[in-house]
Amino acid sequence: MNRSRCMLVVLVTLALLVTGWVPNVNGQVAKTLLVLGRLISDAVSLDPAQAFEFTSVWVDKQVYDTLVDFSKDFSRAVPMLARSWTVSPDGKTYTFRLRSGVKFHSGNPVDAKAVEFSIRRVFRLKLTPSFIVTSFIDKPEDVVAIGRDQVQITFNQPMPETMMASVLANPVTGIVDPALIQKNATPDDPMANKWLSTNDAGSGPFILRSWRRNVRIDLEAFPEYWRGRPKLNRIILLEMPEPTTQLLALQRGDIDAAMSLLPRQYRELAGRKDIIVKSSPTFSLRYLAMNVGYEPFSKVQVRNAVKWAIDYDAIKRIWEDAIDPGQTIVPARMFGHLPERPYRKNVERARSLMREAGYERGFKAELLTVPDPPLPDVAAKIKEDLAAIGIDVEVKQLRSADLLGIYRAQKHQMVIARWGADYPDPDNLAKAFADFDMRQLAYRNQWDHPVKQLVKQAVGELDRKKREELYKRIQKITLEEGPYVVFAYPLRQIALRANVKGLEPSPLYETYDLFEVWKE
Amino acid sequence: MGAYVARRLLLAAVAIFGVLVITFFLSHIVPGDPVAAILGPQAPEDVIEELRHRWGLDRPIPEQFLLYLRRLAQGDFGQSLATHRPVLQDLKEFFPATVELATASILVGVAAGLAVGILSAISRGSWLDHLVRFVSLIGLSMPVFWLGLIALLIFYYNLGWLPGPGQIDVYLLRPPWVTGLITVDALIARDFEVFRNALRHLVLPAFVLGSHAMVGIARITRASMLEVLGQEYIKTARAKGLPERIVILRHALKNALLPIITVIGIYYGSLLEGAVLTETVFAWPGLGRYATSAILSQDFAAIMGVTILIALIFSFANLAVDLAYAFLNPKIRYE
Repeated sequence: MNRSRCMLVVLVTLALLVTGWVPNVNGQVAKTLLVLGRLISDAVSLDPAQAFEFTSVWVDKQVYDTLVDFSKDFSRAVPMLARSWTVSPDGKTYTFRLRSGVKFHSGNPVDAKAVEFSIRRVFRLKLTPSFIVTSFIDKPEDVVAIGRDQVQITFNQPMPETMMASVLANPVTGIVDPALIQKNATPDDPMANKWLSTNDAGSGPFILRSWRRNVRIDLEAFPEYWRGRPKLNRIILLEMPEPTTQLLALQRGDIDAAMSLLPRQYRELAGRKDIIVKSSPTFSLRYLAMNVGYEPFSKVQVRNAVKWAIDYDAIKRIWEDAIDPGQTIVPARMFGHLPERPYRKNVERARSLMREAGYERGFKAELLTVPDPPLPDVAAKIKEDLAAIGIDVEVKQLRSADLLGIYRAQKHQMVIARWGADYPDPDNLAKAFADFDMRQLAYRNQWDHPVKQLVKQAVGELDRKKREELYKRIQKITLEEGPYVVFAYPLRQIALRANVKGLEPSPLYETYDLFEVWKE
Repeated sequence: MGAYVARRLLLAAVAIFGVLVITFFLSHIVPGDPVAAILGPQAPEDVIEELRHRWGLDRPIPEQFLLYLRRLAQGDFGQSLATHRPVLQDLKEFFPATVELATASILVGVAAGLAVGILSAISRGSWLDHLVRFVSLIGLSMPVFWLGLIALLIFYYNLGWLPGPGQIDVYLLRPPWVTGLITVDALIARDFEVFRNALRHLVLPAFVLGSHAMVGIARITRASMLEVLGQEYIKTARAKGLPERIVILRHALKNALLPIITVIGIYYGSLLEGAVLTETVFAWPGLGRYATSAILSQDFAAIMGVTILIALIFSFANLAVDLAYAFLNPKIRYE
């Protein structure tokens, strides 16, 4: 054999050895390990005072405990680190009694000082999600430890129970271990934000073991958790940005759950024995907004003509059924939701409204959207629908950086966008959509309507029945006069291997309680 | 030679500075609000303004540029708005995965491209030649994203011969970070299981990504070889009775290499920029996805960091190609 042939044989043998000429056996993830495929590259920081992206909030929900949590139907607060609480007659001051014997992952005790420290830390750091705290608590001194096991929190307004939980069940108020923070503080960073961005100082059911950006996040069970040892030993969140790759890995059994498939892929999985698809409506909405500052949209008849011109069924089909139809600003399943859907395609009615407003000859309008599917198709359908009533729509696709810049500067005419609740109370949506003074959506669309007084009144209403009525009125007014066409509440879907039990998608961003999850 | 290299390095520095100026001003004058993009539609206005102020984005653009240059001179690439980390740290973390994939891909591309190109040239006009040209045309026009998915579907999902997405299996622990290249780090740590596993994970993405380079290299090899094979000295070599293998490899290929080397340099440079689609399909934590998300969210410091890195890569790739000329062809001398 000559030299080159020898080389060839060696190379081929080496290649076979290296790639291991053994077919992969169908993957099977160990029983106490849960591997989840999803997009994790959105995470910026895992410090609860900073976490505001889906993945980081998701992780913090497993790693940190809060004083209270929401009941499964989000209708009331349930005890967590606080085992009970009392409220002052004016509804502003809550006194919490803490559970005893609870430990941080470090072994340090969770006490009233830790709670005081953690919530005051949010004020000190003043990072993105801090508004959830600072909108309702004026200053750090309003959170006070009383002895070892009581904490008193004074809010700046009367707080119905679900509003209290909106602040204190939110991961931003996750309780951190003060001793670890002090140990890792630096003169530049006295609150150890940088350290906590990638490390663990919690007391939740799982310990953060490691985070490799854009690769994976590893969690491990905390055996001394106060609710008992979690059923899973380890959880791995794997970055899998491409839905088809996720689907293949799920079908092969290399991952236990695929969390960001396309609507079509979830549909295709239906009927399989080894995989189940779970879905839940979300506390978020897809909507079209019209800028009242643009002359034609200053007329309520024109805004309503748009609402009557749109073919809602066709838009639902474009979204491939991954949405739950609805037209009011408080999503279904949330307290106070007004289940009215008056608008459906009625071109005659829309045209007569245009005539009434003096726009029988129509006008031109620009519609902004981002190029994420299926939004360009939705925009094209709206263009077609509005052409029927004389509105000549020019669709412009922009990067979200550009679109948001224009939207915030009130320089748009029409825009398709989404909004998700930061906390599961109608106040969050009412403020965004109807209170001009909040400088959110009503402000961006220049809709300064007296309904904002009702929003301010409703948030502090302690009588649950009256509060519900107020939110229904706010929704009714916004539905009939507001500058929004609400299309739907998107569904959240996940696909699981059939042996994974107890994993339910939640309507509130991506909060999953993994404490109870187990594998058959 | 030394003076030549020095002059080229100086020129590269000027070019990189030019790229820096253009990128900075281009990325700052396009409309859009990076802070709004990064914080999303729901962040309150005061939080946005606070952050804009903290990052110095409310200052005039020339002032921002001078500030950037001053920091850069101190080796500070600035902080990424999206990851809230120093850009240099991000680049250090994401670039090695790209280097590993790009190197594997170019090896595949060069090995297969040369072989196919030579075969096609020496059997010019035969069915083999036509087949090669047809396949390479298809290969060139096939979207790499689609090719990646098909490769996964066949070799990972259906046949199970190769592992799926990611750099190593989920159950394996990554060896301690030394170079950032998993295969090299595994060898340093003498962890041969991880080494083998990492190599297996490289196969599919490297073939997919290398396929474009392969087609390009094969086409240029064929053309260049055909030109050389028509030369007088090849006839002489054959007339001397040299074995065909020697004629092809030693006499023809060596002379045909110059344009091929140029193409290889360009391909390797562009592979090192990161390949966003391949990285997405194979969940590969490389530079491509980092760069793309930086551009989409107008993350200035990250855009600048990636641009400087790419400019450096191309400058060095070009220099390396030019030096390779001198090495391959003794007639070329730089003074």
